[in-house]
Amino acid sequence: MTDQTLTPVQSPPSIRLRGLVALVTVLAAMLLLPVAIGDEFIYHIFITMCIFAALSTAWNIVGGYAGQLSLGHAIFYGIGSYVGVMLVGMGISPWIGMFAGAALAALVAVAISYPCFRLHGPFFTLATIAFLEVFRVLALHFRDVTGGATGMMIPLNIGWEWMVFRERLPSLIIAFGMLLVILAIAWWIRTNRLGFQLIATRERESAAKAAGINTVRVKLYAVAISAALSAMVGTFHAMYLTFIEPASAFSLPFSIQIAMFALIGGIGTVFGPLLGAVLLVPITEFARGALGGEAIGLHGFVYGVVLVLVALFMPNGVMGLVSRFFDRTKAEAPGQAGAIAKLPAQPEPDDIPGPPKAVPEPGDEIVRVVGLDKHFGGLHVTNNVSFKLREGEILGLIGPNGAGKTTVFNMISGFLKPDGGEVSVRAADGGWRSPVTPADYAAIGVGRTFQIVQPFAAMTVEENIMVGAFHRHHSTDDARHAARQTAERMGLARYLDAEANSLTIGGLKRLEVARVMAMEPRVLLLDEVMAGINHADVLRAIDLMLSIRDTGVSIIAIEHVMQAVMALSDHVIVLNSGRIIAEGKPNEVVRDPDVIEAYLGKEFTHDA
Amino acid sequence: MEVFLQVLVNGLMLGGLFAIIGIGLTLIFGIVKVINFAHGEFLMVGMYAAFLLTTALDVHPYTTAIAVIPLLFVFGMLTQRFLIQPLMNARDDHIQIFVTVGLSTALINLALLVFGAEFATTPPSGLRTALEIGPVRVLVGQLVVFGAATLLVVGLTLYLNNTQFGRAIRAVAQNRAAARLMGINVNWVYIVTFGLGAACVGLAASLIAPLYPTSQTIGTYFVLIAFVVVVLGGMGSITGAFLGAMVIGLIDSFSAYYIGSDLREVAVFTVFLLILILRPQGLFGGRQTLSHVS
Repeated sequence: MTDQTLTPVQSPPSIRLRGLVALVTVLAAMLLLPVAIGDEFIYHIFITMCIFAALSTAWNIVGGYAGQLSLGHAIFYGIGSYVGVMLVGMGISPWIGMFAGAALAALVAVAISYPCFRLHGPFFTLATIAFLEVFRVLALHFRDVTGGATGMMIPLNIGWEWMVFRERLPSLIIAFGMLLVILAIAWWIRTNRLGFQLIATRERESAAKAAGINTVRVKLYAVAISAALSAMVGTFHAMYLTFIEPASAFSLPFSIQIAMFALIGGIGTVFGPLLGAVLLVPITEFARGALGGEAIGLHGFVYGVVLVLVALFMPNGVMGLVSRFFDRTKAEAPGQAGAIAKLPAQPEPDDIPGPPKAVPEPGDEIVRVVGLDKHFGGLHVTNNVSFKLREGEILGLIGPNGAGKTTVFNMISGFLKPDGGEVSVRAADGGWRSPVTPADYAAIGVGRTFQIVQPFAAMTVEENIMVGAFHRHHSTDDARHAARQTAERMGLARYLDAEANSLTIGGLKRLEVARVMAMEPRVLLLDEVMAGINHADVLRAIDLMLSIRDTGVSIIAIEHVMQAVMALSDHVIVLNSGRIIAEGKPNEVVRDPDVIEAYLGKEFTHDA
Repeated sequence: MEVFLQVLVNGLMLGGLFAIIGIGLTLIFGIVKVINFAHGEFLMVGMYAAFLLTTALDVHPYTTAIAVIPLLFVFGMLTQRFLIQPLMNARDDHIQIFVTVGLSTALINLALLVFGAEFATTPPSGLRTALEIGPVRVLVGQLVVFGAATLLVVGLTLYLNNTQFGRAIRAVAQNRAAARLMGINVNWVYIVTFGLGAACVGLAASLIAPLYPTSQTIGTYFVLIAFVVVVLGGMGSITGAFLGAMVIGLIDSFSAYYIGSDLREVAVFTVFLLILILRPQGLFGGRQTLSHVS
């Protein structure tokens, strides 16, 4: 294994502690500073700060974790404002109204997002901007209920029940409380199953699907939660401002500002948006006060320029700078580099594994593939491919480049819909099913790897494997435990805290297998896990696959490394130009003249 | 019937307007693969330039195109070179979106600083005169915009298909890495393409300035519709953008007449969402690969 140069990154508890102290200090200051100063304007700034921090944190759940950039988040804020104010008009407390607004906002969010989340591309961003305009126009149009362009005043019922006060302190307490709740929710999501699934989806949608994640559904959860929280803040803000109108409730610059605070603090981090708001809101508010009407547009101009500069030079925001600083301190810690842990019970490097010992007799069929057909335009990629996989069997799928092997894999894992033919898998309960989507396949116990490795780049090795483990486990602790066990088994234990990106190709291939193993599949589809790794690694991988098979998992392996194919496979299928040209025991297949011709050309067939 | 014809013609004229704005946007998206959220503000810059030149030099607004087109061309090239190019290899496209959004915000507010909140009205020079063609009336300026949009589509298509540089542009759009291996200077192609996209808006600006009063929000107004046009036409397709613009123009015009002029945008954006559900590759786009499987 050649990846000795790698430095595992540990995060010492001292750093985590320092982070916690910083967080508590910032939060305490947000509540105590205005109380200590006691000035009306300072109160206003801190309330605004809490509101923006809360909105940005909520935005970040969909914009950061799910990676779906909304530039129209004021839709949800505005819905919350309007629903809250209308219900107050009917005598319903905003404490109840905020939940009504949240429910409506979540519904609207799902309706707008669903078409976009099925697609790749900038559609979601466009749709959020477009519907921001739609809601503004609707609020203007239905003036009987919304007050139209003149807006609505809230009735001045003073008291906690109505969220309206003579002093500023109670408003600050409510704003601060909402911020805390939203931060807690954002933190909880990030550290639990949903957060892992969202970030996996953001990083590599196809790998996330292979890990059994219904990527559209988790993104919808994210947008619904984000919208609901934004709406609740909107309800409170309307009570605080005592007045709403379409132009400010459904405002594009306001939406951009929400996203911008998250960007400046650090998109996708739990506390980045908070930091962005804490840093920027005071500057903005003071600038607005100081410049005022004198230079109309100046403060917006500066905003735009700051946005451009941050995107160009500080794309990871302030949190990115902070963590880079900590990484440097960590890198100086000595004695962290080391060789990879040896695999348990691994053979000596020159010990060529003989034919598998004590092979358990292959059991009943577990996968049936009948007459798979697929065309890409005029190209007939797979032509009537049929085969069966038995329980506890290793099936080798070989063939020259372009034979259609990966296409077959894509069709038996739900990533491509076959033009014709059928795939059925025997479920754990013994019944036969025909899964359709990658999530169906994962649910029934079919796991796959990708030929081109697909690590979740922004995650550590442990987190990568946990994404797989979350397929079986709901609690973070269980998933972490399972991931550690799998990492141990795959020889990745030393690298648990390393960024997935820092692994060598051999390490990444093992990570790919580890992630799918953590899903505890019954059928394992391995796409060239041995390509491009060195001899010693090949031997270890062979051993590993045999040990996986011995636990009762059935394997289909696409492989070019013939040594591995011969040593591993119980049965081999040879694919050429989309057809099965030979199948049988490994020894028989390699002597088949058709196979030799497919690989080497006609002139070599006579020598066989 | 006459009303119907009039609404139909209005829709087509509006379509011409959306087309001439959408073409540059779809060109940039198709080749550089960047959504230029500042596209509308490019239009705004061009319209202010046309306004200033027309009033300062006392010339016909169309004459300003001689200066506005090169101005926007250079502006687009600079944007690509200094704002987009450094981010071409960014891990996700969010950061490019933020840059163009930031540029858009900065330009809108710069206009507010310089010109204030007042409308800048370019002298119409007879372009707002109505022509009676049979039962319908159209403005001279609208007809010119429609004609210019048509010519622009034909011209760009010929350029991309028949010149060496046009082929280079298309090659880069197909596969950046392969084009680079063929000796194409990919960064330069991007810079020129962005310039071309912006130049299209420059032309649009000179033609639209005498028809609409210029304000700092004029770009936001047009560009939202232009996004829908580009998606409807199949992102990156120039002919698609033209046809998409006609469809959106008609929807806009008919919904304004039959539903209510303040709800036109609701109709247009609802259609946008329906397109995403039913035909995400656009009404006129080719097959789009929706799965990213290795």
